[in-house]
Amino acid sequence: MSARYLARQSAQAIFTILMIVLLNFLLFRMMPGSPDRVNPRNPNVTAEQREAAKARWGLDQPLIPDQLVAFVGSTLQGDLGYSMKFQGQPVLKVIGDRFMPTVLLIGLAELIAIVLGLALGAYTGWRRGGMADRIGNGLSLILYSMPYFVIGMPLIIIFAAGLGWFPTSGMLTAGASYAGPGQFLADLLAHLVLPLATISLGLIGGYSILMRSSITETRAEDYIATARAKGLPDGKILRSHAIPNALLPAVTLIAINLGYVVGGAITAEIVFNWPGLGTLTVDALNSRDYPVLQGIFLLLGVSVVLANFVADIVYGYLDPRVRQ
Amino acid sequence: MRAPVSHRFVRLLAALGLAGALLLPALAAPARAAGEKLVLRVGTTQDLDSINPYQTLLVTGYEAFELTYNLLVDFGPDLEPIPGFADKWERAADGKSWKFHIRTGMKWSDGTPATAQDACYSWGLAVVAIKADAHIGAGYLDPGLKDAGVTKVECPDDQTMIAYTTDASDRILQTYLTIIPRHIWGAKDYKAIGEAKFEAPLVGTGPYTLAEWKTSQYARFVRNPNYWGKQGAADEVVIQFFKSADTMVQALKAGEIDYARGPNADQLKALQNQPNVKTVVGSANGWTQLAFNGYGASNGKTIKGGGPSTKALLDPAFRDALGYAVDKKVLVDRVLGGFGDVGNTIVPPVLGQWHVEPDHPRTFDIELAKQKLDAAGYKLDGEGRRLDKEGKPISLRVFLPDTNDSDPKVAQFVKDWYGQLGVKVTTQVRDSATLGNIVLPPEAGKDYTANYDIELWGWAGNPDPNALLQIFKCDAIGSSSDSQYCNPEFDKMYEAQTAATTAAERKTILATMQNLIYDQAVYDILYYDANLVAYRTDRFGGWQNQPTANGTPLFSYGSINYTLLTDATAVPSPTPTVSSTPAPSPVPGSSATPAPTPVPSGSGGTGGGGGDNTALYVGILVAVLAAAGVGLALVMRRRKGTPREEE
Repeated sequence: MSARYLARQSAQAIFTILMIVLLNFLLFRMMPGSPDRVNPRNPNVTAEQREAAKARWGLDQPLIPDQLVAFVGSTLQGDLGYSMKFQGQPVLKVIGDRFMPTVLLIGLAELIAIVLGLALGAYTGWRRGGMADRIGNGLSLILYSMPYFVIGMPLIIIFAAGLGWFPTSGMLTAGASYAGPGQFLADLLAHLVLPLATISLGLIGGYSILMRSSITETRAEDYIATARAKGLPDGKILRSHAIPNALLPAVTLIAINLGYVVGGAITAEIVFNWPGLGTLTVDALNSRDYPVLQGIFLLLGVSVVLANFVADIVYGYLDPRVRQ
Repeated sequence: MRAPVSHRFVRLLAALGLAGALLLPALAAPARAAGEKLVLRVGTTQDLDSINPYQTLLVTGYEAFELTYNLLVDFGPDLEPIPGFADKWERAADGKSWKFHIRTGMKWSDGTPATAQDACYSWGLAVVAIKADAHIGAGYLDPGLKDAGVTKVECPDDQTMIAYTTDASDRILQTYLTIIPRHIWGAKDYKAIGEAKFEAPLVGTGPYTLAEWKTSQYARFVRNPNYWGKQGAADEVVIQFFKSADTMVQALKAGEIDYARGPNADQLKALQNQPNVKTVVGSANGWTQLAFNGYGASNGKTIKGGGPSTKALLDPAFRDALGYAVDKKVLVDRVLGGFGDVGNTIVPPVLGQWHVEPDHPRTFDIELAKQKLDAAGYKLDGEGRRLDKEGKPISLRVFLPDTNDSDPKVAQFVKDWYGQLGVKVTTQVRDSATLGNIVLPPEAGKDYTANYDIELWGWAGNPDPNALLQIFKCDAIGSSSDSQYCNPEFDKMYEAQTAATTAAERKTILATMQNLIYDQAVYDILYYDANLVAYRTDRFGGWQNQPTANGTPLFSYGSINYTLLTDATAVPSPTPTVSSTPAPSPVPGSSATPAPTPVPSGSGGTGGGGGDNTALYVGILVAVLAAAGVGLALVMRRRKGTPREEE
């Protein structure tokens, strides 16, 4: 792979991240709503107190250039500021607390969905028109079109409230103390099953549909016909000839989706009360917590850009034509 | 060459194995039995905003500080004054001073003696703030002392606090001001304490003290081993914050929580037939109203680029006529699912003796409303539009908050009803901070223009009606007033009822005030909201509503109801012969955890204890990735190896 190709991709990525920083600032301030921490309806708060609170958050300064310059300057230094809602905690800490829960949940769900989705797609595509395809593809379409809460709520009602196999919500039993890592792990896994199943189910459809159409296309290629003519067994052709070629579009989808892992799955996290970045986003949006929102969107933006960057590199490696 | 079928079979086995491996440890996990502690789990959809009592604006914040700290005089089962930080009190002969006896031998949860000095410090903060014409923090707690006319406090010894008042009322016994430990906060003045960062674990004299707070997840309270009163059965109280009421209700059904605060009407109905679940429809100390923007009615002032869009809103006759066009019964039935009470006067019925029904009630009658509008000089034009006295079609802008799903429905009904009168209505939804700013007039600052016609929102009050009465005072314009109403006569009565020495005298004045606001139609109070609650009876007994007639067990006033809870599992249900033996019975005091325990290992806490967890998460991820990697490598190797031989 040429150094020029790498350099061009890196420059693009850095430029995009800078634009994200700028957009982040403007986007939330264009949003209707007020970040006022001081309840305006409080009979016991004077106009001066309200102004003082605004000054403390720098909201009394003009948006451009003062607030913008201060924001870009501190962001470049790695200082994301302090959360307005969460007791003035540093944004990095607020986001940091929610990072691992989300990566654990969505990351695992992606892995499961990728493996099962691609396998399902490859199989149904290969057996196009058959019973397996009809059921598999139908299922994929249904799952693909279902929002997480539609999948999640029945799971809660059946397996948590009904059968009592799993806890309804949360990542750990609230306020529990654990004798050892084993107990902690057991509690975590018990809480993980339903949300993980929900998100995996929701994601499988996308992968499966993509892989199915990709395999269907590949099936018509000459080299498949050649392989058949050579008398190779069906499964062998699928595994060794069709899948490797059909995987190319999937790489892009996987890369983009992995970039979104840190964004969390808002509806799933809300239904399962999962303390991740998705619920944090909603909390921050509701209270117009600009610093936290900026932090989340910066993290999301950067990770999507990075994932795309990696996808470009991998793609370039897989397919020499794109390097030109 | 292997047959493809066996391939498939092997792969199926592998997939099943993987799924099994994922599921097994989860199934093996203990349901919820984490040790012997009896934990009361309380669910709410409202987050906790602050654990500094002076900063919190939310009911959950009040619950947190009421569990941890004591009020000088607490609220009893029917909101009557009962011993709290002080166990006895008496009024001086002239009625202008009160002597409070502070409990002998009382200790803070950390073992430090709790004395009158703590009370003098806490009340002293408010007294200084009042003298400076300022407030502590968000300013919700100190007005209680101002209302009671407290001018000075002194503590001649460790067991005595004397409070001097300007009048002879007994409002001093209903003040919502917590006593915080002087040995921890004593260096802070009223300004600093309002801004102070309170961090778990907290030291208090209440029945349970806050031990841990994970923002947006839960707050955990442990039993205060030094609590002076009767201990509740729970060793710990965990208040859990839910993002979705649906999930909270499922958690209640599954027995993961013992109490759910605020399910909606449909959810409550569905819970009514659940075994071991009891539902409560409490009457809220507050209401939902249409507040008419009457800016300038009393002084003729107008606001450039703001204020009401028509002068008709300043006319009591116009507002009165609109009142006949609203069918409140329909709102309660259709919007609230039947849970709630039709509204009328500004003191909610939950405040018992202080509430009066209006002398001249308005009933739903669209035709009558039309006649009244015609009579008051608001005629229809040729196109059926109602004109104001300036000849302009009346079009009202209704603003409402985005905080609940009933307000938009109410707005829709109102739009339809007013529409039948020829009055056009447009509705606009805003987040509450923005809405709060929209209704502020220039008196609050030069940027505010009170640019609205009707505000559809609500208020919640205190055990004393003053909190709700004060929003109609002239000096509330520019802060809490959302009607911009000013009537010196009302203000005079407000002062008079505050100074009234007997309940009967106060009630008479309050009745006149309530009728005045009702007759002038300053507000159209649509309904008194209901507090919907469901709780389980299989783990805890002794649930009691506060007030007993129409309140709810928790999230009311003070902390008494937590101390009344009993261990339902310790009572052998069918045969009384096997009397209460072991079980995880919490003998009051004995099994108590040492006061403010440090954060347990399994939770991040505030002290950065999250390291353990992070390591574990990383471990899990690494393990999964490694497994995936190994699997991939195997597949790749096979793919590279086998085909060649076969091709």
